[in-house]
Amino acid sequence: MRVSLYVPADTWLHRLDPMTKLLMAAAGVALTFVLARIESGAVLLAIFFTVLGTGRVLRQAGSVFAGVGIIAATFLIVQGLVHPTNATPLIILGPVVFYKEGLLIGLRLALRLYNILSATLVLVLATNPADLTEALVRRGAPARLGYVIMSVLQIIPTMVAQSAAIADAQRSRGMETEGSLWVRVKAFLPLMGPLVTSSLIATEERALALEVRGFGSSARPTFLKPEVRPPHAGLVRFLCVLTLAAGVAGRLLLGW
Amino acid sequence: MSTVIEARNVHFHYTPGVPVLTDVTLSIGPGATAIIGQNGAGKSTFVRLLNGLLKPVSGTILVNGVDTRTQTVASLARTVGLVFQNPSDQLFKSRVIDEVMFGPLNLGFSRDEAEARAREALAQVGLQGVETRNPYDLGLAERKLITIASVLAMGTSVIILDEPTIAQDHAGVRRLGAIVDELAAAGRTVITITHDMNFVARHFRRVVVFGQGRVLDDGDAASVFSRPDILHQTGLEAPQITRLAQALALGETPLTVEQFVDLVRRRLSGSA
Amino acid sequence: MAVVEVDNLRYRYPRQTTLALDGISFTAEAGEFIGIVGPNLSGKSTLCHALIGLVPHFYKGAIGGRVVVAGLDVHATPVAEMSRRVGLVFQNPFTQITGAKLTVYEEVAFGLEYTGVPREEMVHRIEEALRLLGLWELRDRSPFALSGGQMQRLAIASVLAMKPQVLVLDEPTSQLDPSGNREVFEAVAALCRQGITVIMAEHKIELLAEHADRLLVLHQGRLVADGTPRDVLSRAVRGELENEPAPAPPVTEAAAALGWTMPEGGFPVTLDEAVAVGRAVMAGDSGADSR
Repeated sequence: MRVSLYVPADTWLHRLDPMTKLLMAAAGVALTFVLARIESGAVLLAIFFTVLGTGRVLRQAGSVFAGVGIIAATFLIVQGLVHPTNATPLIILGPVVFYKEGLLIGLRLALRLYNILSATLVLVLATNPADLTEALVRRGAPARLGYVIMSVLQIIPTMVAQSAAIADAQRSRGMETEGSLWVRVKAFLPLMGPLVTSSLIATEERALALEVRGFGSSARPTFLKPEVRPPHAGLVRFLCVLTLAAGVAGRLLLGW
Repeated sequence: MSTVIEARNVHFHYTPGVPVLTDVTLSIGPGATAIIGQNGAGKSTFVRLLNGLLKPVSGTILVNGVDTRTQTVASLARTVGLVFQNPSDQLFKSRVIDEVMFGPLNLGFSRDEAEARAREALAQVGLQGVETRNPYDLGLAERKLITIASVLAMGTSVIILDEPTIAQDHAGVRRLGAIVDELAAAGRTVITITHDMNFVARHFRRVVVFGQGRVLDDGDAASVFSRPDILHQTGLEAPQITRLAQALALGETPLTVEQFVDLVRRRLSGSA
Repeated sequence: MAVVEVDNLRYRYPRQTTLALDGISFTAEAGEFIGIVGPNLSGKSTLCHALIGLVPHFYKGAIGGRVVVAGLDVHATPVAEMSRRVGLVFQNPFTQITGAKLTVYEEVAFGLEYTGVPREEMVHRIEEALRLLGLWELRDRSPFALSGGQMQRLAIASVLAMKPQVLVLDEPTSQLDPSGNREVFEAVAALCRQGITVIMAEHKIELLAEHADRLLVLHQGRLVADGTPRDVLSRAVRGELENEPAPAPPVTEAAAALGWTMPEGGFPVTLDEAVAVGRAVMAGDSGADSR
């Protein structure tokens, strides 16, 4: 019943310490903006897929990708239709014309979106939020910040789990949820209220429970388990920096 | 006793290989029936089968003769009202009266009818005067009463209460008992899941004991509470006053303080 | 020197006009088990929160009077510091699981980590707390895979590892089934025998009557009775407490109706006491009258 985006598993990626994965995510995001060409973006995405695949979280990543598919599609459509540099028609559907220039720009934007998302997912899907928080707190981040990070990462999955209970309660009062799309949209509103309220109440109760466990203490925390950096972390960190450097150099010298 | 709810050889699991209910066969009619048992014994799962939220893996649930598999939850809600344990899972309107009207409006009553029903239901649970207040400005016990009123307003012939006595104080439990008595007297089918044995003994004619997904015992309160070995299997004890009578070997199974006092007086005057 | 000293405590929540606590005064010694009873909204939770400082530091509002717990003035001490001497366990077992740890063992460590306890000391305290609450065998399980009673015991263990002198529990058995209730009460009674002062707000009067050394009865923010369960419940059943704020256990009500009194005065408040008195009456009755 763990409720977070984190997917527990035992892979090279999971075994990396949180700071290394944070570095990977940061390097990934940086590279997304450094690299200019569509081909470079595609190569970067392929690298991410390999990382996520060998980390055995590719399927969950796929769900997130599908979720933002609409946004990616909008990039393509809007840019394809109306970008100022549009000149060469590529796809014609009756009166609607999609231009090559715009489509390529839209594609580049979509690739950027997926690259940033992938970089973040490398961290989020393979790291226990509590471990990440602990790593940051060890390095001087205030404990409360750590709790905020943990809550944010946990809140959406928690709400998803809770919404099933709420839907049951409202259905039992005669609210129809099965049927046409309109019926289901109409059913949405009575679900939102209790969802938000119960999440807020649970958050307050959790905060209180943590307060009385000394969470607000100003003493420097000590940790039960000593911090462990696996042997391959060093290599991964080196590769991250190397790839970033290569990307920067490639962009400046070869226009990647 | 006419049967309103019938369960025939019901099996249920969430994941295959981990049975939650095994071969449950029950008939429930008008009046007050209590379902007792340890947490995890399958009680909450069972009542969710009665209003269609869950469908049996095998076996059948019939409500007024109709198989629940052929109905949506919303349509079964005309007959079976279920009050959940946690009010936060349900309350979403900013005024109590709107909350209580939600159910009747879903069932197709006009605004006027729904409002009249809502007011009547609130009076029945003893919550007059709070109609325009925000449910979350009231305490947990009052919010639980609001959720009960919401289901009462729907006028269903079956009313299921899932742990209504949690967090209630003595006055609250008394009020709940009065509501159960009124509903039972009016011919409705009241089914309650609860851990409060005193509450069960005082207000429920029939008691069904669940343990490890099965029905361990089923009968009137006096006979169920006179079998401590069965109760023990599911971590329960008879009400305190009943256990006192049993320890004193008084021969009968009193369910309330009044019955106990009466029994003692009879025994003492009888032996004089 | 009392472990808990509450002197004329008055408190009003922000934006309220009535006092939630209206002049409460009582003391508690080491190893005492004190039950707080009363109707909903009588101030039981507020009082529990006031013993650790959530009232007033977390809830704000207006406060008066003095509360000294384990030598610390609660109004002048931050909650984080009070939590080293006072533990508070809430109603809901689920929201007390931090969600930050994967095993029961690590969960107990959480509070110790944030208060900077050295590692060797941590290991020692975690084992002690888990063994005391009967959770040592479950130490590698996920906290979410426990039953309600086990989760509540885990919450107690987590708070206990901080080695408080006083343990406050706010309706801890609310969400539990009867065997869970018994587990919690027995665990807590064991702590009292170790010298920890336990203060528990509860509705379950039968279990309180069995385990508590003293009962405090609250009504509308005021303390209307303070004494042993025998004293308080005998007065309650005779109707001497205004507005009937505290129900007595069924055996006590029956005893009062039948005139079954304890040799030392007052009515029986537990099943065992009632059985003893009852047997004496029934035995002495072979022939004569019912007294």
